[in-house]
Amino acid sequence: MTGYVQFVDTAKSFGPVNVVRKTSLGLERNSLVVFLGPSGCGKTTLMRMVGGLDEPSSGSILLGGEKVVRPDRRRGMVFQSYSSFPWLTVEKNIAFGMRYRKDLDATQKAERIGHYLDLFGLADFANSYPNRISGGMRQRVAIARTLAAGSDVLLMDEPFGALDALTRERLQVELRQIQIREEKTVIFVTHDVEEAVFLADRIILFSRRPASVVADIDVAAELGADRPLEIRETQKFFELRNKVLHLIRNETGVVV
Amino acid sequence: MFSSLFVFRGRASPMVEFAVSVAAAALVIALWELAARAGIIAPQFLPSPSRVVVALWTMLTEQNLVWHVAVSTARVWIAFLLAAIMAIPIGIMMSSYRIVGAALEPMIDFIRYLPVPALVPLSIIWFGVGEETKIFLLWLGTFFQLVLLVADDMRRVPQEFVEVARTVGANSRQVMTDVALRWMGPTLLDNLRITLGWCWTYLIIAEIVAADSGIGYVIWTARRFVKTPEVMAGVVVIGLIGLVTDQLLRLLHRRLFRYL
Repeated sequence: MTGYVQFVDTAKSFGPVNVVRKTSLGLERNSLVVFLGPSGCGKTTLMRMVGGLDEPSSGSILLGGEKVVRPDRRRGMVFQSYSSFPWLTVEKNIAFGMRYRKDLDATQKAERIGHYLDLFGLADFANSYPNRISGGMRQRVAIARTLAAGSDVLLMDEPFGALDALTRERLQVELRQIQIREEKTVIFVTHDVEEAVFLADRIILFSRRPASVVADIDVAAELGADRPLEIRETQKFFELRNKVLHLIRNETGVVV
Repeated sequence: MFSSLFVFRGRASPMVEFAVSVAAAALVIALWELAARAGIIAPQFLPSPSRVVVALWTMLTEQNLVWHVAVSTARVWIAFLLAAIMAIPIGIMMSSYRIVGAALEPMIDFIRYLPVPALVPLSIIWFGVGEETKIFLLWLGTFFQLVLLVADDMRRVPQEFVEVARTVGANSRQVMTDVALRWMGPTLLDNLRITLGWCWTYLIIAEIVAADSGIGYVIWTARRFVKTPEVMAGVVVIGLIGLVTDQLLRLLHRRLFRYL
């Protein structure tokens, strides 16, 4: 097994509840991997273990060959709710990502803030508090903060789940572009099949709890790396989406 | 124009709201004055507002009320600040470390249900009849309530914020100072405002224990001679102090937490 992120016989239980079965899996660097599965199946737990926020009950997780033992800024989290700090302006939320970095001086930090404000179209809202901006912008702030922190790996737990359909679509397109441009590895957790197919280079499909891998789908081989919005209307996309849906029904027994 | 005032959770301009508040208070006072003058209730039970105002003026000009107010305010603030200084770290520790919570929460829950007046005899045995007893009784009524409120505030800090901070490199102390305390700020100030109000409500109990000063003492002495207007004037003064303090703390809240 190879890969930048490696699950090595990783399993997790919370007390008597077995959440993740022994799993071995390698994820390539600079790829966007979607963990797809029914709600509560354990996919978020797997992602949290990559973040160092939960410890495997057995086995381990390696990042670039190094065992993950605690959270650090190389692996940043983006959540669905409480994504940006309400007491900080947009600019200061992004700056928070670098607050504990000693390797950057004030000028370098200011440059990075400027870069991410521009990259995410937030420059006009730099001094706004999160309660004055839309839900989509708040998620952009959260992603920008994680990138500003210098994270190699973005761990995204249904980050667009609470957004309206149009904003969600836009952010999906932006995430794809930024992931490629900034050369980041993304683990994206969702239970939305269409979102998974549109975003993923690779979909790992999990069973119901305790989670185990039931399918590993190479989406990039089917759809390519470039994902304009129009790709959703192509025959290939429909076929792939239907294939994933079919797999979920067959393999997990869940009707989506 | 007026129909908009009765829309469910509708908003009125601050001027209209202020005018309504003043008018409502004026109406209550007017009805009270009318009831008292009509002799519906005997004046020794309910003197008219005008007699209360006259009594208040006499207390201010002839009975050194300002000094009594100052003494009471000092007692309340000393007890309240002591309670806050102790309750905030203990409440935070109770929520941050389960073992501290397990050790303290049942005891605090037990003590907080004890009525303060029931502890007056004990406090006299422990502290005598000096200032310490008065401060202790006020502290008692505030500390145990506040410590549980602070613990609850701390528990409500979203785990997502804690985890975001940890993944950008914050250590435990930085998570506490840069995230948890910042998140708690608004509710902490609200809870301090509420418990300060409670502290004032224990003032009479604290100041009937061998006191020779303070608003509680003034009210209690006036009661002994059935000087109902003076009793009511004392009560009104406490209410006014409460109102002003509350408004000032609300203003501070708005200034400090503009992002809300």
